[in-house]
Amino acid sequence: MKDNSVVPIASPGQRAASYWFVDGLPDIVLGVTLLIFGALGLWWCLHASKPVTWPDLYFLEAGLILLIWKGREILGLLKSRVTYPRTGYVQPPLDIPDMLIGKPTTLITLSLKPAPPPDENVTRFNTRTVYVVFLWCFLLFGAAANPWKSWYTALVMLPLAVALYAWNRRSERPYPWWSTLILALSGPALLWLDLSPLLQPLLMPLLAGLWLVAQGACTLAGYLRANPYPRAPEGVQA
Amino acid sequence: MTPRMQEISQLDRVIHEPARLAIMLILGGVGEADFLYLQREGGFTQGNLSGHLAKLEEAGYVEIEKKFKGKVPLTVCSLTGKGRTAFAEYTNRMLGLLQPNGASDSPRP
Repeated sequence: MKDNSVVPIASPGQRAASYWFVDGLPDIVLGVTLLIFGALGLWWCLHASKPVTWPDLYFLEAGLILLIWKGREILGLLKSRVTYPRTGYVQPPLDIPDMLIGKPTTLITLSLKPAPPPDENVTRFNTRTVYVVFLWCFLLFGAAANPWKSWYTALVMLPLAVALYAWNRRSERPYPWWSTLILALSGPALLWLDLSPLLQPLLMPLLAGLWLVAQGACTLAGYLRANPYPRAPEGVQA
Repeated sequence: MTPRMQEISQLDRVIHEPARLAIMLILGGVGEADFLYLQREGGFTQGNLSGHLAKLEEAGYVEIEKKFKGKVPLTVCSLTGKGRTAFAEYTNRMLGLLQPNGASDSPRP
């Protein structure tokens, strides 16, 4: 199926940022993070003696932030085994929020060595994907006691999918339209579960996590098929 | 000789060679990259890339280091400060030269 969402990427820095996602590993790591977050929350809701409150969610939020923060290290380890021996290493893109793009801030200048230009080897993956899913989850939790009850997850999956597609469309990591359509339809497809409003917010990270893992796994499979492991890796002498 | 012609003769010949220009352009945009990535990205052969990197390193424009990422040994290349300055100078000079009515063609005081 032809995917028109993929835009040609020109500059070396943009190509390098795009290269970060070529193996699907960032999607898989983030997907697993969301699955852990959703599963922990679900377990908490089912086994806690009291209903889940905002402070409880802050605890989960702290765990999620820790996982996202450590995600780069986990990714680096995975990529050193999977990607670098096959297609080479390039400096990972700096993950900076959209509002800092194009602005020479002290934060950017101090955090990199050597510092690439802010419009070059950078990604907005966290801002455009991680935080979108996360924010949606919070909004959903805040509105869990709404009159639609079990319809809520089904209704919010559609705008979430549209947001993920639209915001990433011209980025270094665009999502194909058919893939986001699957995400949008996953909410209504699970209506038969008839979950309580309390559990509704946790369905969303589980679905989004599963979607990302599936998408990353497909990308990884394609990448591994196209780039078999070299027999004599560079630098290793027989 | 017009000033524009003089400027052409002053272009940095180390960078001006297409393969080395490609290497400088890639490294300038990505920060640092290993030998394999440069080879794939620039469409070089191993020997060709080694030769050009050696010339850039000799000029002090590129730094080549052996690093470990996890347990994988990599030959990582990056631009030096001198290399960045030289590349910026080269780019400015070329941009000036390629302008149809560039300042380079006008007689200087």
